[in-house]
Amino acid sequence: MTLSRRLTPYLYILPFLLVFAAFGAYPLAYALRLSLTRWTGAGEPRWIGLDNYTYLLTSPEFWASLGNSAVIWLLVVPIQMVAGLGAAVLLSNARLRLRGAFRVAFIAPFVTPLVAMAQVWIVVFDQDHGLVNHALNLVGLPDVGWLTSTAWSKPTLALLFLWKTTGFAIIILLAGLQSVPAPVYEAAEIDGASRWRQFWSMTVPLMRRSLSFLLVIQTLAVFQMFAEPFVVTQGGPFGSTTTAGLYLYDHITASDLGTGAANSFLLVILVFALSLVSVRLLRAHDE
Amino acid sequence: MNDKRPGVVTYLLLGALSLLFLYPIWWAVSSSFKPAAEIISDPLGFGLGRATLDGYRAMLADVPIGTGFANTALVLAIKGGMTMFFCPLAGYAFAKFHFPGKNLLFGLVLLTLMLPTLVLIIPLLLEMSALGWVNTYQALILPGSIDAFSIFWMRQIIAAVPDELMDAGRVDGAGEFGVYRRIILPIIRPGLAGLAVLTMMNVYNDFVWPVVAVNDERHQTLQVVLSTLAQNITGNRIGADFATVWSELLAASSIAMIPLLVVFVLLQRHFINGILAGSVKG
Repeated sequence: MTLSRRLTPYLYILPFLLVFAAFGAYPLAYALRLSLTRWTGAGEPRWIGLDNYTYLLTSPEFWASLGNSAVIWLLVVPIQMVAGLGAAVLLSNARLRLRGAFRVAFIAPFVTPLVAMAQVWIVVFDQDHGLVNHALNLVGLPDVGWLTSTAWSKPTLALLFLWKTTGFAIIILLAGLQSVPAPVYEAAEIDGASRWRQFWSMTVPLMRRSLSFLLVIQTLAVFQMFAEPFVVTQGGPFGSTTTAGLYLYDHITASDLGTGAANSFLLVILVFALSLVSVRLLRAHDE
Repeated sequence: MNDKRPGVVTYLLLGALSLLFLYPIWWAVSSSFKPAAEIISDPLGFGLGRATLDGYRAMLADVPIGTGFANTALVLAIKGGMTMFFCPLAGYAFAKFHFPGKNLLFGLVLLTLMLPTLVLIIPLLLEMSALGWVNTYQALILPGSIDAFSIFWMRQIIAAVPDELMDAGRVDGAGEFGVYRRIILPIIRPGLAGLAVLTMMNVYNDFVWPVVAVNDERHQTLQVVLSTLAQNITGNRIGADFATVWSELLAASSIAMIPLLVVFVLLQRHFINGILAGSVKG
């Protein structure tokens, strides 16, 4: 083997390594150090050990931001998994016509820019002049403060997330369904298993991989949710939509960067733990 | 699968779901062509005869959307170009070469894959300000330009190319890069198309990093321009009524949706491949 052939792979990987070192590894190491200091953007960072972490872990605002994200998670993930699986089963029928058209309709929201749709949400859910309240009034129902009441602000943002990503969930689950081998169903048919039974005792277990995969990425996405509250509600009313992602951003605006760095690590740990737990639960439930 | 022929209920359910997904897009785009006052007085109605471009005209005067489009196009061209050039190349190295340290380096790729973007935002911002790169194109372009996910995906695709094909190329006297360019690249074209479409969607819609890295109007990407729409419009039209503001807001949002939706309808298959593969990223 010539020297040039031996060096070739390193040369091909080098650009990635450079970018990773400069904009991945270095900032990560820096963030870790930063999270152990007190620094407001000017002067020397002051070493304070784990104070940022203990500050956050005892701060009601930090827990409130996690609580807000948790509520949105509850409003989004179960509905999306159940409805997504249902729609995917309907779409997977080999004799279905117009499948392509349905698929385009479902994925279209996923392709639209989130920020643009968030603006549309402001208009559609406006309390005084919005489309939704206009429609409610037409059928004799009173106005709802979709974005102005603490009770409805989270569901309204959850709806934006559901609208935007459920089609994506359906496509993931559909791909999973289509990888379930046909002979499995044929055998069950011969055994006389009902459709419903087939669904629960075969489809769902065989779909475990797709379902847990979806669960993990949507959990990651909900706990990092940022653009929706940033654009639509700025975290309000009364902090009711200050999600974990938005709270993190608030540290930047407040120039409280040490706390911000600590917050990002806590969030990462939490998100990984949640993913692990949810995958475990899904496994245990099926076995 | 011996499926039963789907009944009316199936079509009704899927049809209703399609309507739910498409209606907000339709409402935004169609309302952007309505006379401003009607967006509020009659949000459900739409008369083609009264369609107007007033909202668009006013929006173009108030919102720096042209700058946003130009900046997004520039970032897309360079960042997308870097992804498309370097990621398959690195994937090729991991798929078809044996070299000391390969497992270690690939482990690094996998580790990076699992890193949430959120954790890097603050230190990256500080790095940019130390470099004097806040409000520059390089800040928008370089971080994430050669990403682990694209390398991982391209490695999977290139690994499936039979070695015999490459050997044939070598016999013909092609160098290492020649084998890559003349044999590998043509075979993995569908995968490259998926990568191109996915990269385009991600860069076009990217928001968290651009909104942190850039705050002057000259460097704002389209999404950053969109995020401050309401402030922009009301700032330029003190005392403007809701209807006018909304009409401009809907015009800007619609214009921003259209490029990707068109690409999506034209390149559906590649889009869906890209989304399926891209979902690994999270």
